[in-house]
Amino acid sequence: MTLIENLFENLRLELRRGCLTLAVLAQLKQEHYGYTLRKALAAQGMEIEESTLYPLLRRLESQGLLTSEWREEEKRNKRFYRLSIEGEQIFARLLEEWNQINTAINNLL
Amino acid sequence: MELLDRYLQAVKRHLPWERQDDIIAELRANLEAQLEDKEAEMGRPLTKEEAEAWLKQIGSPIQVAARYQRQQYLIGPAVFPTYWFVLRLAITWGAIIYSIAKAVDIAAHGLGAEAIVSAVIYLPWVLLINAAIVTLVFAAIEQVGVRYPGKCVPFAPMAPAWSPSGLPPMGVDEANKPRSFAKASAEVIFGFLFLGWLLLVPHYPYLMFGPGAWYLRLPYQLAPVWLSFYWCLVGINIFELTWKIVDLARGAWQRPKSRAKHLSMHTLSLIPLSVLLAAPDHMLFLLKKPEDAVTLGGALASANKGVHLALTIALAIVVLQLVWGAGKMGVEAWRNRVAAMR
Repeated sequence: MTLIENLFENLRLELRRGCLTLAVLAQLKQEHYGYTLRKALAAQGMEIEESTLYPLLRRLESQGLLTSEWREEEKRNKRFYRLSIEGEQIFARLLEEWNQINTAINNLL
Repeated sequence: MELLDRYLQAVKRHLPWERQDDIIAELRANLEAQLEDKEAEMGRPLTKEEAEAWLKQIGSPIQVAARYQRQQYLIGPAVFPTYWFVLRLAITWGAIIYSIAKAVDIAAHGLGAEAIVSAVIYLPWVLLINAAIVTLVFAAIEQVGVRYPGKCVPFAPMAPAWSPSGLPPMGVDEANKPRSFAKASAEVIFGFLFLGWLLLVPHYPYLMFGPGAWYLRLPYQLAPVWLSFYWCLVGINIFELTWKIVDLARGAWQRPKSRAKHLSMHTLSLIPLSVLLAAPDHMLFLLKKPEDAVTLGGALASANKGVHLALTIALAIVVLQLVWGAGKMGVEAWRNRVAAMR
């Protein structure tokens, strides 16, 4: 990988990091377990690696933005996540911020 | 699937023990569901090679487990500026205190060159220990803050209650300020006066020592090496004065003092110091009457050793300053070159 490509990759990852959190919070207005969440995000064009998504869910839960519960589905125990009340409030504010940034960038371009 | 079991077992080994089972159960459920989907799509079980490629694409067990770790750094961004500030203080003051303590110890006990070399060799270890202690303390502060966020007072960075109105006024860049004609002329005039004074000192010692010239009545005298030292000083002053006069005559006096000029003068200052250090048997002071050696010889030897040690330290400091200055000049030149290439 050349220096420029490396720089681009770092900046791309930095840009995506915040967006992924927003996408996950948006998708978890409905309950999902890890794998179906990943599929749902991919179906909307937001591909995300397993090794990024599953730890992210844990982190958001430890921050109080998600709630989770273990439940059996299709003869297998799965951990289902959804937005908590605090998560809904934070998501609304983040969305507002996102829209402002989006508008500003569109104006700049 | 045996390969998946082995993969999850490898991930588990690198997870925090208190959450291992929970994380692995969740990861297993997700990966098994994904595997089922893949196999349903293909209408057959994955071959060994396909399963290996799939797990490889998920990531190595260490990488996957690392993402579940709460903290990946020793000292975080909130604490780091203060840590860096304290670390620099600790290293600087550690070096100063250690040097003074060792110099006093060596002079007091009359230790020789071997003790000086040993002290210099041990210096990096002292600084390393200082740095390690500071790092450990700040890492502990960081860890406590992360583990008990609600119970600890948040770490306050340096000067947390700063106000823009309290910022110091803009300083003038003295180094790059053009010199005035008056200043350049005054430097030449005072240079002449200083040189005149320096040339008169050997004939009228009270011009340098004032009332302290009574030392001439002491049973000690300066060794001949001081005469060489004196003429070196005179030579350097004549060289500097000539440079200033040439600058004034060529109209180059407006230019700020360049780093190269500063460095070359600094290099010249090594000559008189080296002359003194090269004194035979480190004899910088002698007895006026050799027969006094029985009563005054011990004190004289201590004085010679102490002054020689002080001169060695001074030389080391000048050399370090010179290396530092040359390094800065090199970096500056390289940056200018890179900027010019752009």
